[in-house]
Amino acid sequence: MVERTPFLNILTHLILGAGLVLLLLPLWIVFVASTHDFRTVNTVPMPLWPGSHMVENYVFTWQQSQFGPKMLNSLIMAIGVTLGKIIIASLSAYSIVYFRYRLRMVLFWLIFITLMLPLEVRIVPTYAVAANALRPFQEIINVTRISDLADLLFGIRIVLPEWQLLNSYTGLILPLIATATGTFLYRQFFLTVPEELLEAAKMDGSGPLRFFWDILLPLSKANMAALGTIMFVYSWNQYLWPLLVVTDPSYGTAVMQLQRIVPGPLFGEPPRWHIAMAGTLMVMLPPLLVVVFMQRWFVRGLISQDK
Amino acid sequence: MLSRRLIMGAAIAASAIFGLSAATAQAQGRQRFEYWYGLTGQLGEVMADHCRRFNESQTRYEAVCVGQGGYDRAEQNTIAAYRARQHPTIVQIYDAGTVNFMLSGATYNAVTFARDFNMRINWADYFPGVASYYATSRGEMWSFPYNSSSAVMYWNRQAYRSINRNEAAGSWEQLERDLRSLKAAGHACPMAIDFDTWQWVEQFLAVHNQPIATRDNGYAGLNAELSFNKGLLSTHLNNMKRWFDEGLVRIQTAQTGKTLVQAFADGSCAVTMSSIANHGVVGATQTPGMEWSVAMLPVYEGYTRHNSLVGGASLWVMQGKSRGEYEAAAAFLDWIATPAEVQWMPTVTGYIPITTPAFQQMTAAGFYQQPRFAGRETSITSLTFTPPTNNTRGIRLGNFTSIRAELQSELQAAFTGQKSVQQALDDAASRGNQILRRFEQTMRGRELP
Amino acid sequence: MSGKRVTFKNTWLAVLLIAPQIFLIFTFFYWPAGEALYWAFTLEPPFGGEMQWVGWQNFITVFEDPLYWNSVRRSLIFALCSASIAMGIGLLLALFVDRELPGYRGYRFMYFWPYAVAAPAVGLAFRFIFAPDAGFISAINQWFPDLWNPALDGFDAMILIVVANAWSMVAYNFIFFLAGLQSIPRSLIEAGAMDGAGVLRRMRDIQLPLLAPTVFFLIIINITDSFVNSFGIVDITTGGGPARATDLMVFKIYSDGFKGKDYSLAAAQSIVLMGLVVLLTFFQFRYVERRVHYN
Repeated sequence: MVERTPFLNILTHLILGAGLVLLLLPLWIVFVASTHDFRTVNTVPMPLWPGSHMVENYVFTWQQSQFGPKMLNSLIMAIGVTLGKIIIASLSAYSIVYFRYRLRMVLFWLIFITLMLPLEVRIVPTYAVAANALRPFQEIINVTRISDLADLLFGIRIVLPEWQLLNSYTGLILPLIATATGTFLYRQFFLTVPEELLEAAKMDGSGPLRFFWDILLPLSKANMAALGTIMFVYSWNQYLWPLLVVTDPSYGTAVMQLQRIVPGPLFGEPPRWHIAMAGTLMVMLPPLLVVVFMQRWFVRGLISQDK
Repeated sequence: MLSRRLIMGAAIAASAIFGLSAATAQAQGRQRFEYWYGLTGQLGEVMADHCRRFNESQTRYEAVCVGQGGYDRAEQNTIAAYRARQHPTIVQIYDAGTVNFMLSGATYNAVTFARDFNMRINWADYFPGVASYYATSRGEMWSFPYNSSSAVMYWNRQAYRSINRNEAAGSWEQLERDLRSLKAAGHACPMAIDFDTWQWVEQFLAVHNQPIATRDNGYAGLNAELSFNKGLLSTHLNNMKRWFDEGLVRIQTAQTGKTLVQAFADGSCAVTMSSIANHGVVGATQTPGMEWSVAMLPVYEGYTRHNSLVGGASLWVMQGKSRGEYEAAAAFLDWIATPAEVQWMPTVTGYIPITTPAFQQMTAAGFYQQPRFAGRETSITSLTFTPPTNNTRGIRLGNFTSIRAELQSELQAAFTGQKSVQQALDDAASRGNQILRRFEQTMRGRELP
Repeated sequence: MSGKRVTFKNTWLAVLLIAPQIFLIFTFFYWPAGEALYWAFTLEPPFGGEMQWVGWQNFITVFEDPLYWNSVRRSLIFALCSASIAMGIGLLLALFVDRELPGYRGYRFMYFWPYAVAAPAVGLAFRFIFAPDAGFISAINQWFPDLWNPALDGFDAMILIVVANAWSMVAYNFIFFLAGLQSIPRSLIEAGAMDGAGVLRRMRDIQLPLLAPTVFFLIIINITDSFVNSFGIVDITTGGGPARATDLMVFKIYSDGFKGKDYSLAAAQSIVLMGLVVLLTFFQFRYVERRVHYN
């Protein structure tokens, strides 16, 4: 845009600069806290400038907490959830937007409502399901007497095998894929795609799957990137569910580990904030890198066609 | 017309997810059992360390110890796991969780367990004040005490010297005089307080032999009612509010930026009351050269001093595990109860030795003469000052966590001037009683052991 | 509800496409949630075992509690304030970054960071900054004594959690607003410029209306999030206090259920919370989405 608006430009820079300070100040404090030693970090007020203990804090935290393997677990979990979410959400949203069937809106709201109940509330029964994921179906088969029917007709008892998800990547990943953010996002996006595209595709004789794969998906790259980033960060930062479903330390995630080193309010707990903040920054780094890397893809105006 | 690539990709993804569910490593010949602990941070490392040392001290058993990220979470996760039959053999549960576990029917109570698995534990060794907290109303212990503490008063010797006094106040009346002198001598914060009910309400009532609730603080039955809102506590909190208004005490919490321990350790406040477990923390974070010590909680004149309550957590054994796991767990529990291990805990944390023989050995070995640990014996003196009475055995109230939260909120309201102290106490008691009645109704058909 | 005019007819395929998600949400959401919510009509002991059916008793307990209505009020205030601040600032920053002035890449790069930070760190940092004794905000207290004290003043505490929550959502909103702005074809904006519309005018008349679907999406997400996911922020900064000034509904549910192990009371409160959020969302779909033009 070749325009001369010097005053507005200065204002823009001022606002953007203020925004920067606002958004980065807390991160700065976390960083500064991670560079001091135990005594300094506990003086009130804590100094605003970094100290000299950065390397020793980070080395200590890394070794003590064995962040290496934990980061790998977090990575596997986050990637699994991200991919799973993208695939499932796009398929479901496609079904809701581009097909007409009676249960369409009911299913959409069923999916959407899953956003509205906090995990903390349902965590105890969710754990029971994770211990045997096929139990709900077994119970249904029992209650609806299908099992009795099968026994009567065919002489076989339907007993579903036990599918245990605890202490496994599946257990970490599957329950987190089950929520609705992605579906909602894709629905919104699909609604903005011009009808002409579909009309043209239909006239070309392409069926629903071809339309999805060849036309809709490429268009939604920006959304995929946005959703992927959000989901990666979200699943990376999960701590409540992993803490419950994983008791074998070899499956521990990085944020679970971080929880263990953040000083609690207990009596006798030395406030080792310098270690906790060093750990925080280390745990924050991978999602940060993902965010930094991905932003290129989804803010670039990938809709190349200009109407 | 389903794209082949789409199917392939999905199949690969699916097999990757399912295939990665690796089975946990097989035991290499050692009998394993699982132990979930609640402590985090440096104390959590101590827990893990203790386990590691057990594993290294013998070759037959292996303790698999997993931190749960907090006492609340340890209790919650154990409950969730128990419901799914995936629970550990031993779990570390804090004092407020004792009632839930006693009523659950899910625990293997300690006395029976020790008998069934031939443990070497001598129940009489435990300090009476410690044992009574985790014992039934008939004195039978249901869990194994592990990390215990009690409440003490921290006082700054240098600040006291500036008002020409060399010993801590033994009575609240004396403490008030000290606080006034400190204020007059220029100390901006004579005493730091917060809204934690453990030391300011529960321990306060215990050392004065006053009840928190009827029915022996709940030991005698689930139909107990809160009774703290009348009598001494009301008078005392009104005094504290007056002192707060006069600037003799200051509120120091994490929300104000500095906890009372930090405020004491950096010298800004001259007196505070907290758990002995913080003794090490103060030592490690104090301003260099600060001279300070601990003393027993003060008692109002006209009241006889009684023992203070134990705090911390204990270890519970759960039902529904295999014989092999129980044998391993018994070995572990035996090992941590040996005098050497009972003495190890107080050296790496601020917790106290919980058995009389261990305490005697440590005293004889000069532990409490070392400058780093000097003064910690005060907490034991306080804990064992008298044999526990009906009011000082402990607190056994249902959903006590919520009752504590109610009391805390009401105290905040009182100290911020939103209501009078008496109104706040009455409201806390009535809401607390509602909580107790709900708990009683939920547990209908069960009896407190 | 809005929808496409042109659709496919293949119903079986549609069902197949949506089946995986339905399976997942049934197994991992509806079944456990159903169990958890069933507890709202019983008195469920923590470890299980016998429980009693008590019908509406839990709901009556909840509705008769004046402190419950306190938490509903607080939650509404919190949701509205933090959503509007987070969206307002996110939009402002996105609009200005979209202008692509020199250095915009740097701003864009750094505005994304806050989203990557886990809740404990956010809470801690905000406590450091806003605590009255800690030195940053305490400067204000030196000029105007006792003006700022979130530990003792409920109003200040509410400001603190609103700011902390808004902070973590600004980056989220910024990402989506920027993506939305960047997908507005440049030709439209250039056309506006050639018609003589200034920068601000173009923002108001071209970019904002075209952003409407994103705005709608974000309103729903922000409000739902501030009701459902705000536990972490409150827990770490104010703990629900002082004197319940920041006792949000979800915090109360967590305190009662998770800490207090009163699953039935938590379940009853959760049903109410869910009902409230569903109502709010439905309202937004009905009245706000009407005004959103998707094309």
